[in-house]
Amino acid sequence: MNRVFITGLGPISSIGVGSAAFESGLRSGHSGISPITSFDTAGFPKVLAGEVKAFRPETVLRRLDVKAWGRSSVFAAAGARLAVRDAGLSTDQAQPHRVAVVVGTTSGEAKITEEFGRALAEGGFPAVPPEVFEQLPADRLAAAASEELAVTGESITLATACSASNYALGYAYDLIRQGEADVVVSGGADSVCRWAHAGFLRLGAVADEACAPFDRDRSGMVTAEGGAMLVLESEDFVRARGASPYAEVLGYATNCDATHMVAPDAASIARCMRLAHANSGVRPDDVDYVCAHGTGTPANDATEAAALYETFGGAVPPVSSIKSMLGHAMGAASGFGAIASALALSRGFLPPTANWRSRDPEMAWLDPVPNKARAADVQVAQNNGFAFGGNNAIVMLGAV
Amino acid sequence: MGVLAITGFGVVSPAGATAAELAGAVAAGRSTARAVEWPEVTLPTGTAHHLPEFSARAELGRRGTGFFDRRTGLAVVACGRAIEDAGLDIGEDGHRTGLVLGTTVGSAQAAVDYAAETFTEDPPYLVNPALFPNTVLNGAAGQAAIRFGLRGVNATVAGGPVALLSSLRYSANVFRTGQADVLLAGAVEEFTPHSAWLWAGLGGAGAPGEGAAVFVLRPAESLGHRPDAEILATAAGFCPSGEDRVYALADCARRALEQARVGAESVRTVASASGADEVAGWRARTELEGLLGVEGAEHLAAGELAGNSPSATPAVELALILARHRAEPARDGQIALLVASSPAGAVAAAVVRGWSRGDDRG
Repeated sequence: MNRVFITGLGPISSIGVGSAAFESGLRSGHSGISPITSFDTAGFPKVLAGEVKAFRPETVLRRLDVKAWGRSSVFAAAGARLAVRDAGLSTDQAQPHRVAVVVGTTSGEAKITEEFGRALAEGGFPAVPPEVFEQLPADRLAAAASEELAVTGESITLATACSASNYALGYAYDLIRQGEADVVVSGGADSVCRWAHAGFLRLGAVADEACAPFDRDRSGMVTAEGGAMLVLESEDFVRARGASPYAEVLGYATNCDATHMVAPDAASIARCMRLAHANSGVRPDDVDYVCAHGTGTPANDATEAAALYETFGGAVPPVSSIKSMLGHAMGAASGFGAIASALALSRGFLPPTANWRSRDPEMAWLDPVPNKARAADVQVAQNNGFAFGGNNAIVMLGAV
Repeated sequence: MGVLAITGFGVVSPAGATAAELAGAVAAGRSTARAVEWPEVTLPTGTAHHLPEFSARAELGRRGTGFFDRRTGLAVVACGRAIEDAGLDIGEDGHRTGLVLGTTVGSAQAAVDYAAETFTEDPPYLVNPALFPNTVLNGAAGQAAIRFGLRGVNATVAGGPVALLSSLRYSANVFRTGQADVLLAGAVEEFTPHSAWLWAGLGGAGAPGEGAAVFVLRPAESLGHRPDAEILATAAGFCPSGEDRVYALADCARRALEQARVGAESVRTVASASGADEVAGWRARTELEGLLGVEGAEHLAAGELAGNSPSATPAVELALILARHRAEPARDGQIALLVASSPAGAVAAAVVRGWSRGDDRG
């Protein structure tokens, strides 16, 4: 079976656009969190998010007509273009039908849904603009990337909420491993929107101020957005074109808690970790870094820490949450985690957990890589993604 | 990818619930469209293939169903019927049993009304937190997992008209990579004013409808008896704008037929119920069959029989084909070609061989 390598990174995030800016953001512990400008926050008690503000997609896109697509689709397409460029992959190197696209998402076109809701509230259904209907279907996220790259392989959107990028990367890995594709452009995309911000507020999940994962006084998450796309290639293809990969995809696992729609389950998550290790041929003590789901809510971080402690028999490697810098980019979140992990493996550093101040006595053993990136030899990284619906997905990456 | 065996199916549809009802609906060939009105709301249509009498609470009881949106109710009931039809015993340990569910936008009503409330509530964030999980696209799959203890793979495929075929392909990969022993796979769509307007806005032909069809899948080689059907092969691709959609579909179908080692002349039924796209049109289908060399194939008018919606209609169409097989042993071993395309460009095909149930399976 083919081995699978990550050769290109296309992050469009609140801490930077493109792999170089994203890496420098991670290394400096940069915060991408700022007051929301994409909707009117009057009346909202908390107004921070990780929006992608200074990005003009038309400067990246070559084929896609930005006006005809929703924000999440544009994130997916622009991230795909950036990732392909970062991989140094030109279109004549791959046969179009051997290039597939797999995109994960939580809410699909959340801003289009918001627009639908606004028009409905103001004037009823007849007032909804026709482009809202055309742009709403969530399969358009993968389609936008396929359209932008003019590739004709399988194009699929996986909507498994906040672990969706890991679901996507897992399927992408299998497509290459099983010989169905030479190249897969994969990751996730989502957009900050008014209604999800309201929903998380009402769940009591939004941070008072800064998002401080694994901190004793952590108070919640901050919603965010972006496109987190990666180029995966088969070993043969990488060799033939002489590319130098960031990392190898070692394997993945998915499972479902099947207990509660929003409350995570430590035993089920630990099971997913054990499966991911087994599927990837690694032992717990091989793992040098865990890129955590780490939303910063009291419940998630306590549950994730408990699952890590159980899985690693107490010897847990350094664990950091890049959501402390980017915010929680929903369906793109584990894509950003994969990009950060690929950079950790190839550049030899651990991304930090920003805003960390006080050790949580409930997880006193945990090393969150506080506030400053740390130089480290990383051979194996574990990228966690958990979600509404009890959907857990974990991707394991290895150094090349 | 490997051959999938279908060992049972569950349907919620105006065309019927049981295999016998569905087979009867195919034989009768009657439209299930009826007049529809919605209190205080303008609908873009006067008729719909809807199920006003459907109630998740009536089907499933009060426990756990209080916050179900309509799509979730339809999906969970279809899963339950599929489990029963297949005689599947999930037991206490569902770690090797999973779900792959197709959708277009999840529940448009749940998400859009949630968004609308932030424009009508004062202060604007006073939405109902208990309804928030319904706004995400995988809400139905999560609820079905809880209901039936499905602890394995839990994927939601947002493919619209292509969702069923993508879900089957995804399922084949899950088995090939050894990630599960049994999967429920299918697709769902609700009827609400939101979905009716979405259907009209996507240029869908025919009256909008709702429903769900879920199939119980196992790797064919693991089965000790004849299945209800085999998914012999699937293929998927993408047709960028400016390229010929029918050619792209034909290419997909050819790859699936080749992989299944089935000649075009063996195809007895062509299923192409993806009414949100031009491929549903008879002219495109005729052109496609001409390109493939398929002659004299039957077509079920699934949209008329069961209602039109992006993701549910192709799934219900497959159930109609299987129901007909169960009712007519003379059709044993016949081949159906399923094709689908999405307005955004995805194309897919699958080759299905259907069987009746022998005496041993009633």
